[in-house]
Amino acid sequence: MNQEENISNGSELNIRLWQRFKAGDSEALGQLAQTHYRALYNYATKFSSDPDFIRDTIQELYLELWERRIFLSETAFVKSYLLKALRHKLIKESIRLKRFHEPQVATFDADLSDPSIETHIIEAEHIRFQNGHLKRIISLLSKRQQEIIYLRFYQNLDNEDIASVMGLGRQSVSNLLYRTLKEIKEIWAPAEFFWVLLVFLS
Amino acid sequence: MSLHRTFTVEELATDDTFRLWVINPTPEIDRHWQQWLQLNPDRAGVAARARELVLAVHDLYKDDLSDEILSQEIAEITRIAEERNIPFYQRAVWRAAAILLLTGGLSWFYYTTHNTITPAGKSTEITLESEMVTRTNQADVEITVLLSDNSVATLSKGSSIKYPRHFSASERRVYLTGEAFFDVAKNPNVPFLVYTNETVTKVLGTSFRIKAFDGDNTEMVAVKTGRVSVYPKKDYEMQHGNARLAGVILNPNQQVVFNRKDKKLEKAVAANTGILAESMLLKDQVFDDQPVTAAFDALGKAYGISIDYDSALLTNCMISAQFKDENLKQRLNAICQAIGAGYDMENGRVMISSKGCN
Repeated sequence: MNQEENISNGSELNIRLWQRFKAGDSEALGQLAQTHYRALYNYATKFSSDPDFIRDTIQELYLELWERRIFLSETAFVKSYLLKALRHKLIKESIRLKRFHEPQVATFDADLSDPSIETHIIEAEHIRFQNGHLKRIISLLSKRQQEIIYLRFYQNLDNEDIASVMGLGRQSVSNLLYRTLKEIKEIWAPAEFFWVLLVFLS
Repeated sequence: MSLHRTFTVEELATDDTFRLWVINPTPEIDRHWQQWLQLNPDRAGVAARARELVLAVHDLYKDDLSDEILSQEIAEITRIAEERNIPFYQRAVWRAAAILLLTGGLSWFYYTTHNTITPAGKSTEITLESEMVTRTNQADVEITVLLSDNSVATLSKGSSIKYPRHFSASERRVYLTGEAFFDVAKNPNVPFLVYTNETVTKVLGTSFRIKAFDGDNTEMVAVKTGRVSVYPKKDYEMQHGNARLAGVILNPNQQVVFNRKDKKLEKAVAANTGILAESMLLKDQVFDDQPVTAAFDALGKAYGISIDYDSALLTNCMISAQFKDENLKQRLNAICQAIGAGYDMENGRVMISSKGCN
């Protein structure tokens, strides 16, 4: 009956941990909070640049779950549910503050637009450049497209979870994702040849 | 492994072990994927793209959360959860709350004979006198002061607060002499600053109590929950706008004492938790399926404030809630959330906005 390993992927919760949480064991809450804290923190940085505000908001989110624990089901601690609740909280707060922002993403890093000439392997150099190129392509996408790329390839959510987090229909998500990937492909010249070389050389 | 044969860029880029291989490989995973590449040379291009995609997205969106901060936050969540181990009523709207207390000694009566709240030497800070409002509480009971950013100050007797009728866009600054509890509306972009004689306390949105009467030997700041930064006023003003200030950051149940003689801040564990409430008086309220208008009226009466609402719109709105330790803002939030309404504070009044209930 050991399901300890399941806690990490969030698809299923450890039964004993869940029971302890329900019974009011605050250490169990700590363990549950630990599981997706990084994912939540990272997502929140796309909505706010204030680390105190982010930490307070995530803390509030978990404490609200704690206070409603009697009524909760296990799904409350599934990653996509937490991301959705956090997104809602962050946006609600922004509306309350009358400062609505679409998710903000990091601006393009200057160091990658300017690859070093001292890189010893020319292939690696090329990959860095390509990687920077792809980054630039992604950062030029619309906020909505970026969020979908982020949720799919950074948070590694499936289309259904993305739909739930962003409050969109499943079909819209798969259309938008398809369109976005197509856009990327059209302008992205990958460095596959060089990369393969590198793999076989290493 | 042959299962991977049909993998597309998207499938590879979202495969857990592939992602691990790209970002944080173990020898075992590395061997697995190197082998896979040799068995599937036709997928090398796809794998290369997937790798670039994973790396680009990772680079583009990574954050700087350290393990240290992470475990600190988890410990904090666990600790507060422990404190709140009694289940709260269903519609609880919890906000991070910080209680801050600046205590004084014996001289509150000094104040009663000196009714100005602007001590000498402070004049340079106050540039827009005409916009400032001063409220002084000479009654025996607390008074509730509503600020333009939806923050609430509960002023103790013999205390005075000075604040702008409308806060500026860059900061929310108030001056306090004596004692007050603040419940500050959260706005990370516009810090809320409380100036007393000797200290500046900076928050982004929490609740806290201040007690700083003129002539005292010490001031004290004590935090219940949330985060508060306290600076000696001199340091704050000298370094304002420069690099990060070396203030004292208080976490829940910590306090700091400012000694006016040696001008130093000393951090300690908070001793008295009885002061960590908005009101010294108990304001128990129970609304059992009552019209929300009655709840607003009762709330207005309990806090001595005006709450304006459209009674025609709210006729169908009913509310069930109990309040015990909640602040005014928590009560307003809970009631408004229950009926899908909002509120604003204008000219010292609470204005309820609602589309009505069905």
